[in-house]
Amino acid sequence: MTTETPPRPRKRTQPDPSLPKLSAMGWVRWAWRQLTSMRTALFLLLLLSVAAVPGSIFPQRNIDAGRVADYIAQNPTTSPWLDRLGFFAVYSSPWFSAIYLLLFVSLVGCIVPRTKVHVAALRATPPRAPARLSRLDEHAEVVTDLSQDEALAVAREVLRGKRFRLHSHDSTSLSGESGYLRETGNLVFHLALTGIIVGMAVGHVFGWRGDIILAEGDKFASSAGTYNTISPGPWVDTETLPPFVLGLDRLDVQFNEAPGRGFGMPKEFTAYTTLQREPGAPATKESVSVNHPITVDGADIFLLGNGYTPVITVRDAKGEILYREATPFLPQDGNYRSVGVIKVPSASPKQLGLTGFFLPTAEPTFIHGPASLFPDAKNPEVALSIWEGNLFPGDAPQSVYTLNTDEMKQVTKADGSPALIRLKPGQTYEIPGGRGTVTFDSVKRFAGLSVRTDPGAPISLVSAILATAGLILGLTIKRRRVFVRVRPAGPGAAGVDSPSGDDGRPATVVSIGGLSKDSDAGLAAIVAAVHDRLAERNDRS
Amino acid sequence: MNLASNANAALYASMIVYTLAMLAFTWHLAARAPQVADSKVAERAEVREDVLVGAGAPGTPERRSPYAAAPGFEESRESRQRGNIALMLTYLGTALLVASVLMRGLAVSRPPWGNMFEFATAGAAAVGVAYSVLAKRNNWQWLGVFVVGPILLVQGLALTVLYTEAGELMPALKSYWLAIHVSVAFIAVAFFTIAFAIGIVYLVRLHREEKPPAKPNFMESLPSSAALERTAYTLNMVAFILWTFTLIAGAIWAKQAWGAYWQWDPKEVWTFVIWTVYAAYMHSRATAGVDHRKSMLIALVGFVCVIINFTLVNLVSTFVGMHNYSGVG
Repeated sequence: MTTETPPRPRKRTQPDPSLPKLSAMGWVRWAWRQLTSMRTALFLLLLLSVAAVPGSIFPQRNIDAGRVADYIAQNPTTSPWLDRLGFFAVYSSPWFSAIYLLLFVSLVGCIVPRTKVHVAALRATPPRAPARLSRLDEHAEVVTDLSQDEALAVAREVLRGKRFRLHSHDSTSLSGESGYLRETGNLVFHLALTGIIVGMAVGHVFGWRGDIILAEGDKFASSAGTYNTISPGPWVDTETLPPFVLGLDRLDVQFNEAPGRGFGMPKEFTAYTTLQREPGAPATKESVSVNHPITVDGADIFLLGNGYTPVITVRDAKGEILYREATPFLPQDGNYRSVGVIKVPSASPKQLGLTGFFLPTAEPTFIHGPASLFPDAKNPEVALSIWEGNLFPGDAPQSVYTLNTDEMKQVTKADGSPALIRLKPGQTYEIPGGRGTVTFDSVKRFAGLSVRTDPGAPISLVSAILATAGLILGLTIKRRRVFVRVRPAGPGAAGVDSPSGDDGRPATVVSIGGLSKDSDAGLAAIVAAVHDRLAERNDRS
Repeated sequence: MNLASNANAALYASMIVYTLAMLAFTWHLAARAPQVADSKVAERAEVREDVLVGAGAPGTPERRSPYAAAPGFEESRESRQRGNIALMLTYLGTALLVASVLMRGLAVSRPPWGNMFEFATAGAAAVGVAYSVLAKRNNWQWLGVFVVGPILLVQGLALTVLYTEAGELMPALKSYWLAIHVSVAFIAVAFFTIAFAIGIVYLVRLHREEKPPAKPNFMESLPSSAALERTAYTLNMVAFILWTFTLIAGAIWAKQAWGAYWQWDPKEVWTFVIWTVYAAYMHSRATAGVDHRKSMLIALVGFVCVIINFTLVNLVSTFVGMHNYSGVG
């Protein structure tokens, strides 16, 4: 986007023998000039748009790590290479970063010198009028019986009305220039783009997000340890997170029950919460819904997901309770077929794991496997398989939503077929082999809440608004120069009927010329306006 | 009859009227064509005129609208009449389409662009309005076929493939940003569409200027390729500014709805891709030494991205992201 260089000759049969050898510094300069040239910027822009596309085609880790894992499992031959080349994290990959960093270096390298030039231009007076204005893109000539000074005064008045900066280098000419805001707008636009990047960087470094799944009736106190997942920026001190306490009283969810295409579509999600801004502070009732986050100490709390937490109790053979918890099951489809895991490390002689589905409106036959017909809890059911063995092989960290069955064996019935639990609320299942019982007590909803702080967002927002303003100025305003020259109409003035004579007043020939760097449909109108005003004055006098 | 079915009736009616308008525009082009056969002489005369002006003839400067028809082309009365009939039909078709969008909006008591069907009809209406407002002033009768044709195509697809019953919005769309972000998006698309149509005409016109065909047709009656290029540039520029706004408004809304203003969701990616491609077009247009034909090709690629963004990204599961509001499927 830098300087507008004239096209260079394409072919050169032989290298020019008189070309000087470039020193190391010379090469650096050459490279810099290449990088900051408009053609390079253009190429990088196109490259950036091409490079962004794979991120919309391949699943991305930052959006959905689960889909990435599925994709890798389904494409074992290509995916290791795709992974190595960063196709599952395009926007943080070295090649994508390289393109936009080069683009921004190019941008800054071009903005800085251009700003200097522009500041000088803002102070400069419009240049001297060229000798032959008829050579300019737009030009006109008029003969008037005004004196030379009067004619220039008329032109000055017209051009001033059109916001031209005016200067007379001599008594027979007038130079005018307008549209300085075009370049100002251009520079603001490009500077503001860097501002957006700075805002993003600040957000990355100082921002943090914590996600938590909260069942109805549950409460959590915000601190680094209490979130299910927390991703702080590298310079965030996790000891200083806002210490609010949030309880979920109720989650209202409505789905479309009218038959038709919109059947089962969500209509409304609202979480009714009790919020204490810090422990011990008075509690207030707040509601969070999609598009309406609540703000605490600069952090915003968003409602991003919801689902079901079946309350399940596992007892041993003697009836002792080993496990009783509202366990979140994560929805997998629009009808909330949800998967979840129950880990009972205290079971003996071996640890127990239950894994399977929660179905809010179970399709009773399971003919195509466990399925839900509607997202609301109209006919809730859990379907679980039972595993026995070591829940935590190697004591490696693992997700609460997956069961590692490497060192586990599926529990079977007496006939050797796998034991499958299917329970409705209130029902109990007896695990074969006297291993105890599993009870499905009730269902509660959970809210998937996300707490986020992005201190860079205001920087990006202000920059984006400035960029738009700059863009509008830079594209719509035209840089124009208009020159006016006057000369006495002599008998030698070819092709001009001299109006002098009758009343003996001296006649003046006024030439007007206009010049614009851009294709500019409005320039002709300005030249015409000066011409018409002079012609008009002529008629009146 | 309730409002929603009235809206559909108006939509069908507008399709009928637009079809007639399209026929009339074709009929108009047919009337332009034979004129050109005699205007070869006129073209030569125009060259001579340029020379005269260049010599510095006194008098008012040339003030021909840059959007006017080719110099030397005298439109026949017949052609003008047919063009005006076609324009009238277009106004009527557009009025019906706008009425349909308004009734749909009243029927659902919200901005009527919450799913693909509604977005497509509202977008088609925006194209119709933009063309109707600009056509008379700029003598764009010749462009009618290339604008009304795509409108009809979009309407047809909307009714057959994308149709969604009037209904309530998904929670994520219940925000005043729907009115702002989406409406600016389809107004931008409307301008991109007209600019695209002119861009294609420009490339054909330029080709025929460089290699004059043995038998001239209506193409030779159109404004010069330079004028077409300038018009397409102006429209693309307006659309680009609107698209920039769409991008920013979308980011602000995303921050409210999803907690982060930019997450490289496929829709965001493609909005960004479109933005960079058109930014490249604006750049190349401003770079001396890049010929306008190449710049225009970049703009055409940009429009292909606009189409991909509206079709593939909404409908193909590869692009699954958070913008799942098509209402289709």
